Parts: sequence; structure tokens; C-alpha cells
Amino acid sequence: MDGELNQLKYTDIHNDVVRSIVETGPNYYIALITAFAFTLICFFFPWFYQLYYGIGAAGMNHPGVWGTYLASFIFWIGLSHSGTLLSCVLHITNSSWRKAMYRSAEAMTLFSLVVAAIMVMVHVGRPWFIHWAAPYPNQMEMWPNFRSPLLFDVMAITTYLTGSTIFIYMGSIPDFAAVRDRTQGWRNTMYSLMSLGWRGTDTEWHRLHWAYTFLAVLIIPLAVSVHSIVSWDFAMSIVPALHQTIFAPYFVVGAIYSGTAGIVTVMFVLRKFMDFGQYITELHFDNLGKLLLVLSLLWTYINIVEVFTGFYSGASGEIEALNYRLFGFYAPLYWEMIAFCAIAPLLCAFKSFRTSFVPMLVLSIAINIGMYTERFLIVATSLSRQYLPDAWGLYVPSAVEISILLGTFALFTTLFLLFVKVFPSVSMYEVKETMESPKKSTPAASEGSPA
Amino acid sequence: MTSFVVGLFGDPESALAAAGSIQTANLGTPELMSPVPMEGVEEVLGEKKSVIKRFSLFGAIFGGVSGFLLAAITAVLYAHPTGGRPIITFPPYLIITYELTILFGIVFTVIGFFVSARLPNGLWTAWWKQDENRPYVPEAAVDKFAVSVSCASNENVQQAETILRTAGAEEVRDLTEEN
Repeated sequence: MDGELNQLKYTDIHNDVVRSIVETGPNYYIALITAFAFTLICFFFPWFYQLYYGIGAAGMNHPGVWGTYLASFIFWIGLSHSGTLLSCVLHITNSSWRKAMYRSAEAMTLFSLVVAAIMVMVHVGRPWFIHWAAPYPNQMEMWPNFRSPLLFDVMAITTYLTGSTIFIYMGSIPDFAAVRDRTQGWRNTMYSLMSLGWRGTDTEWHRLHWAYTFLAVLIIPLAVSVHSIVSWDFAMSIVPALHQTIFAPYFVVGAIYSGTAGIVTVMFVLRKFMDFGQYITELHFDNLGKLLLVLSLLWTYINIVEVFTGFYSGASGEIEALNYRLFGFYAPLYWEMIAFCAIAPLLCAFKSFRTSFVPMLVLSIAINIGMYTERFLIVATSLSRQYLPDAWGLYVPSAVEISILLGTFALFTTLFLLFVKVFPSVSMYEVKETMESPKKSTPAASEGSPA
Repeated sequence: MTSFVVGLFGDPESALAAAGSIQTANLGTPELMSPVPMEGVEEVLGEKKSVIKRFSLFGAIFGGVSGFLLAAITAVLYAHPTGGRPIITFPPYLIITYELTILFGIVFTVIGFFVSARLPNGLWTAWWKQDENRPYVPEAAVDKFAVSVSCASNENVQQAETILRTAGAEEVRDLTEEN
């Protein structure tokens, strides 16, 4: 990457990123309108239908009272994990390869969190009472139970959403200022406000460096806590196959794993459709491929441990739940998950695979299909096989639930398409930092240079 | 009348050298503007200290105390005894404490950044216009390195311009502002 970047000048990256914001072709509008139309048709219409007819429109019923809505919630929270977390870790470890891709990865975090939060509202059935989860004085003298993992979730996700929003915004201030100077009309007004009058002085850079580093240090443990807490929504229950101590690290590893795969998908799209091939290179895919390989091995290990401890416990409830997951009604989904998340990523052991863009895209999508399946299996198979056989039952999602699940992807795509036209999707100043700084020009050289 | 003399340089080393010369000539503390963070600024202009860490620490402590008190006082005011267990239960409340420690740590870090970087700049004077008492050159956001110095007299302006040109400034601008 360095070799390619060193052939570029500061003005090249500046022009490329500003162009990606201000120049909009018809393909972009077609993509945006399509994504928005899918969001309306697949997400909002079914949701309104469910609001009108009641939560019975979803396939959730006893014993499967948790369904794809919660599976989607975990999936999107998980997808949010690698963006900001990876960005923070790589910032603190001063990894220069992060700089071209982190802005989009952080945006992925932000929009995944937004989608996840909306999924909670879809799940609860009566979202107009969602504010009851917040601690505020009210005439009902109703206060949330601070001992409940569900309230831990509210606090953790609120904090993570706030932290991620602030983190991406703070890192973008210098770039907003750079875009401000190149735009006119409403765009100029918008970027002037968003850049807060940034001038790029030595004091401002110094303060930004410290603030950004402190934020990174604060957000890393926060990100780990968020998915641990999401896992406790399940692990704190006494349902067989859910009541497990390994759930917190299992969820955290799974979240980073699916998030990293999500970054590969987003990087491919940016490279292909936003013409950022000079900045998002084979090096990024190579490094992300190595990370995917390590995470897949960790994830596989935790899965093996989960199965082994379940069988070794000798508890009939645990063994029944595991048997059901591995060989029961949902078994094809389980083995699909193993194929996509444990076996297919082994291809990342080969450099030729890691540096091939289309195969990496296919793998990243396969991993996230597998990871969605994992979340569905956690929710569906566990509730289907609890202690008493007369409480056993199947959960099959309804058309409304499947439509809303597909709609979440359209919603995410819509938000991301809006993002690339507002935020510089590649960090200009950080990519410039990785480039060779301009050298003092000799008189002969300066004579020939453009004004 | 306050004049700001700004020199534009094509490379960071020349800009730093010019800033050092301005300071040595006692023309005031120069300000550097650049498209990327510059290395070696503190060696030339002296060590910079920021209060951000104090804001972060205060925010974290404030958030932690608030988080625990929120959960504990709620439990006491709206008691919900469960199986003879304590009303104030530390393990779950530590999670609330932890989350609010981080939340307020983040929020106060941002406040500390705004205070110490003196941002927003100019919003209060004319909404989306830059504060005209703080010089700005758009080229410094792209590929130029600018050195700015505030001069109280014409003599100082001329002296600053000479230093900047000698250091290799590609262009020197006189941004004069009537106060």
C-alpha cells in the first residue's frame, strides 16, 4: 500500500474524497431509491402491519417467544462490533493500514447499532412504551429493575451508540473542514457547522490526538462489555443450552468475527463502486483475511467447548438441547453454520485467497449468513427444548418476520448510502499521514510546478 | 489594528523552521496550520499540555458515582425484596456503574476537547462564518503548511514577512483585521 500511496499527492486524496461526496451519478440514485423502496416494502410496511394487527402477526408463540427479531438484534449488535472496536485497537497500536478503511467501518458500527435498536422496538410489540425502559421520574412510580440484564442492555447499548457516534464524528472534524472549503451552498453551510470552525492548528491537532486516544481507550472495554451483556440476556436464564458461563466470550468473539466479515463486504463495495481502489488495497484484504482466520479458529474452539461441556455435564436437559441442535429439526441450519463459519474461512490460510477480492467478498457474506444462523439457533433451538417435554415446540418465522429480517439489510444499505454522501468515507488526513510528506522543493523543481 | 501575517509552505520542515525563527525574534507565538498533524512541533514551540485527561477522569468518576447512586437509590426508594436478598445488590449495580463510568468519561472527554481546542470557532459570532480573529487559509486543509503570527505594528509585519520569506514561504499573506 505504501508504494502505491507514495505515488500520490495530498491533493489526489483530497480530490478523490471530495469527488466521492459532491459528484453523484445516476447509479447512486438508482441504488438509493431501490434500497429505500425495499426498506419501505420489506421493513416498514410489515412492521406497521404487525403494529396494526398485534404481535400475533409474528410467528412467536409459546414456547418460541423469542424469534428472528431477537436473532436480528444480536446479529446487528454483533456486526457493529468490529467497526469501532477494531478502529480503536488499531489506533492505539498505531497500525497504519487502518487509516484508509476505519471511517467506513465505524459507520458500519453506527448503522448496525441503529438497526439493532430498532429491532428491539419491533420485538417488544408496543414500541410506544419503549421509554419505560429508561429511568425517569413518572406518575406511575414505575422504575426499571437495575438487576435485570435487559436493563444492562439498555445502558450498554446507549453508551456504545453514544460513544461510537462521538468517535466517528470527532475523527471526521478535520475532513469536514477540508470538504467545507471545496463546497458551496447548503453543503458549505452543513460542513461549516459540522467542522465547528476547525483550522488545523497545531493546538487543535494536539487536542484531537489526545481526545481521540482517550475515546479509543474508553470504547475498547465498552465494546467488550456490550456483547457480554447481550449474552447475559440469555445466559442469566436457566434455559438449557443458554445458561452457560462461556456465553460472554462466545458472543464477543462471534461479534468481532461477523463484524470483521462485514468490514470485508463494505470495503469491497467502497473499492468497487466508489473508486477507492488506490486506498483500499490488497493489503487491507490480506490483513482482514488473517484476522478472519484467527477469529474463525477461536469461534470454532468455543463451539467445540460448548458442545463438549454440555455432553460432559451429564445433565439430561443440556444433553437433550445439544442433541436437538446437532441432530434435530434445526440440524441442517447448524451444519450450514459450521460449514460457513468454521470450515470455509480456512481458505484464508492461503495468501492468494486473502488477496482475491471477489472470493473474499463471497466468504464474508457466507460468514455473516452463518453468524445469523448461529444467533437464530441460540434463540430458537434453546426455547424449543426446555426441561419438560410437554413444553417442547417448534418455532418457524412468519412471512412478516422474514420480510422484516430482509428489510433490516435494506435499511442498513439505505443508511450507508446516505453516509457516503455526507461523510468522507475515507479519512483524508489519516491517509495523508501514511503518505510521504512533501519535501522541500528545489528552485528548479518549483519553477516547473503548477501554481 | 491587529495584523495576521501568514506564510504558506510546501513542506512541514520549512514551516517548522519559520515558526522557530518567529519565536526566536520575539514576534509572538506563531500558530501552525497543516493538513495533517505535524511532528516536531513541541520541540520548536515548546511542550503542549492539555486538560482533556482531567475532564475524562472527572467524567468517569462522576459517571461511576451517578450510576451506582441511580441504581442504589432507586432500589431503596422503590424497594422490591427478592427472597430475603439485600435491597442494594452490588454485582448487578457494578455493571450500571461501569457503563455510566464509560458514558460520562466519553462525554466529558469531548467537552474537554472542545474547551481546550477552543471549538466551536466562530459559530457564536456569525453562525457558519469563521471567527475573523483567528486566521485561516483553506490551502492548509489540502497540501500547504501555514505559519501565522499576530503583529501589533507595521514594523512587526515587515519583520515577520521577511522571516517567512527567508525560511522559504511560497506565499506570504497579510490578513489585517480592524478591531
